[in-house]
Amino acid sequence: MAISSTLYNIFLRRNTTMLATVFVSAFGLQLAFDSGSEKIWNTINKGRQWKDIKQRYMEKPEEE
Amino acid sequence: MPALAHTTRAIARSWTAHQLPVARASCAALQTRSLSEVSSTSSFDSPFKGDGKSTKIPSFAAYRNKAGGETGPRVFSYFMVGTMGALASLGAKATVQDFLVNMAASADVLAQAKVEVDLAAIPEGKNVIIKWRGKPVFIRHRTESEIKEAEDTKWESLRDPQPDSDRRQKPEWLVMVGVCTHLGCVPIGEAGDFGGWFCPCHGSHYDISGRIRKGPAPLNLEVPAYDFPEEGTVVIG
Repeated sequence: MAISSTLYNIFLRRNTTMLATVFVSAFGLQLAFDSGSEKIWNTINKGRQWKDIKQRYMEKPEEE
Repeated sequence: MPALAHTTRAIARSWTAHQLPVARASCAALQTRSLSEVSSTSSFDSPFKGDGKSTKIPSFAAYRNKAGGETGPRVFSYFMVGTMGALASLGAKATVQDFLVNMAASADVLAQAKVEVDLAAIPEGKNVIIKWRGKPVFIRHRTESEIKEAEDTKWESLRDPQPDSDRRQKPEWLVMVGVCTHLGCVPIGEAGDFGGWFCPCHGSHYDISGRIRKGPAPLNLEVPAYDFPEEGTVVIG
């Protein structure tokens, strides 16, 4: 009760602060979504991407 | 004619005024009769007859806000509205960004847009012409006397007034796009009346800082964006 009323007073009472909250949370959501989907993609394609197999091919020219 | 219209209007008014209560009364009579009498007398069995107490209001107590205050539900509904707004703005931003990224230069174009030049290969007092984005670029390693000459020129009275310090990052290296600002010919280096460049097409003379001094060209030779990432190399673009 107290928490929800303080939340209401801080974030939702004025339209400007609500808009700001919405856009900031949209930014955060975007970061979370991007990094999360990237992580999922990397776990699915583990060992098949260039950054995983890069060291197999990039080292050799230097040794020769 | 108007007299007739008046009388008809008056008749119509008086008729409704007197007839309406009667009609209402008869209607009410019909309605009150319908539940009690009609069900017993007529052969039609009304599906709505019930036991006379047909208005049984269900209880919504289970759905009532038990906390008492209105803050909780209000925060919840504003939270849902805000979440909806956040998701919608995310989608709008992603859509717009996709279109803009689509218009941006691709990686292969960006890779060709920069040229790196090794300055150690250019001796003092020599010009080098390289190709950058399809245009010639002059790089001149200026001598001390040329730097002095370029800086001491009274640039305020020139056609396109510009001090030498605005036209180079390091005094000894002058980097310019080698296209005459008149009609786009390529000027010849170390020629002309001012010891700089000379355009053979219409006779524009540029000085040792690339400023227009004589001839039809309106502007100084253009200086591209460049920087020195390390000593001895210049990256143009």
